[in-house]
Amino acid sequence: MKTLIAIKEADCAWMRETLPDTHPLLAPLCNKPFVEYLIDFAILAGCREIRLLSDGPLSQIEEYCSNGSRWGIELTYSNLHPSDEEQELLRKNRKFCDTGRTIILSGYNFIDYDKTLDYRSLASIDSAGAIASCPGGSITLAGPPEPSLTDQPLPPVGLTPVDDLKSYCRIAMTTLETGSSRYVLPGYGGEPGCAIGRNVTISKTAQIHKPASIGNNVRILPGAVIGPSAIIGSNVIIDKGSTIKESIILDNTYIGEQLEIEGRIASKNTLIDPESGVTLAMQDPHLLAGINGGATALVLWRKIVHALAAALLLLLLSIPFAILYPLLRLRGKWQDGHSIPNAGLAESIASALSLDRYPLLPGVLTGRLAIIGSRTHENRAANHAGTDCRPAVFSYAETEAWAATESDAAIVERYHALHSTPLGDIGMTIQALINRIHYRNPT
Amino acid sequence: MKFRLDTQNGITVGIAELEGRLDASGSAPLQKASADWQTKTPFLVFDCSRLDFIDSSGLGAIVGCLRRSLENNGDLRLAGLTPKVAMVFDLTKARKLFSIFSNAGEAAASFGATPTAIQER
Repeated sequence: MKTLIAIKEADCAWMRETLPDTHPLLAPLCNKPFVEYLIDFAILAGCREIRLLSDGPLSQIEEYCSNGSRWGIELTYSNLHPSDEEQELLRKNRKFCDTGRTIILSGYNFIDYDKTLDYRSLASIDSAGAIASCPGGSITLAGPPEPSLTDQPLPPVGLTPVDDLKSYCRIAMTTLETGSSRYVLPGYGGEPGCAIGRNVTISKTAQIHKPASIGNNVRILPGAVIGPSAIIGSNVIIDKGSTIKESIILDNTYIGEQLEIEGRIASKNTLIDPESGVTLAMQDPHLLAGINGGATALVLWRKIVHALAAALLLLLLSIPFAILYPLLRLRGKWQDGHSIPNAGLAESIASALSLDRYPLLPGVLTGRLAIIGSRTHENRAANHAGTDCRPAVFSYAETEAWAATESDAAIVERYHALHSTPLGDIGMTIQALINRIHYRNPT
Repeated sequence: MKFRLDTQNGITVGIAELEGRLDASGSAPLQKASADWQTKTPFLVFDCSRLDFIDSSGLGAIVGCLRRSLENNGDLRLAGLTPKVAMVFDLTKARKLFSIFSNAGEAAASFGATPTAIQER
């Protein structure tokens, strides 16, 4: 038996508007891409060959699902025309379908299956036609019946249209409440109703109330309250004291401190009320912001630029360091990790050249540090909680003369961590060096 | 920002209409205007029915106005929050600080009512 999954862009246009960067078939439903529920059902029905059809781009799906080997199936892709009906789909894919029974899953619908039940009797049902339908599509059998693989009767199959944010949210919450007893859901859980992904840090003072699902690479900071009925995606930070209840936090989202999200969907800097459809794009990065998890090219480019700048500084300062370091050591004026006091010519030169930071520069070459970012070896690290923290030789705060207090410095560092460019960092490093000559701030 | 005084309920209530966006650029003028309004009456209503957008600095300005009213033994009540503005109040828990009414008339009338008769909308 084979399966055709036919999704038309018109069926899921609303989801495109909500998650413009994600293909609707990859939209997470309880932290599992939507397409995986369709594949799971096809596998439960005994299919080993599945073809995905769409009138839109499929490259994102192909990249994620590949050839289906991870599910032990053969997955292929093809196009359809927006006006194609089931008979037309069968005709266009006759080479794929002509050997026997085919299940056609059409429309952007959620299949209400149960992983503990046996759906293989779909192959041997005598009559072809729809076995379940809803306004958004159907599950249809085509082709001749195949020999029965099971003597179990066909369990009931429900089909719910996912046609707006309200239905998406409702289905996600139902799936969360039903839990892994019925669906194959991601994450690990010591007890029912709570699934937690990999690389998740939960503060001792944070609370998790079931049911809750937490994705991978998530940080839940002190005092945060998750749940009941909370779905936290991957690459998410929930900052101190915030409450997430009956809500969905999609991937790559930062939730600021002391916020209350109830009955909402949060995606990057956008907050959505699924009931009314009202969408609010926040402009305060300390309230709600996107976490750029996919910018690996930018991260690499930044590392290269920083490493080149560090290599240049290492080279330029090598002779002054070689001369002044032993001298200051002998005089007892050099203390690792501390700035050099301005008491004498040698000290002044060493301080003006920022030689106290020279031992940190090799750390930039190894990628352990950035040339400019946050001075995290100071006690400020604890407050930063790693949201945008780039441990560095020089601090963004040193580029701004006004940042007098720790909290001022944290604001400056946070702002530049979010908005700076790799080449801009070099200009700011020079600015920090100049400022250090003028202000010689104690650290 | 339009401002008028309402005396219909036996108490002088200042009703200010906030419009458009209330962000960092609009916060300082609001704070300044609010200080002026406080000299006329500490009982204020901010009609937000034409306020399209608010950010944390705008919210801070409104909370500052509330604080000033409370210091003068008055109150600041909000009316006609649009869905987007209401979402910001919900998100930041600022809703708990204010009495919020569906329109400015109700908010103004609430100052004339006994405290127990005031219902948060």
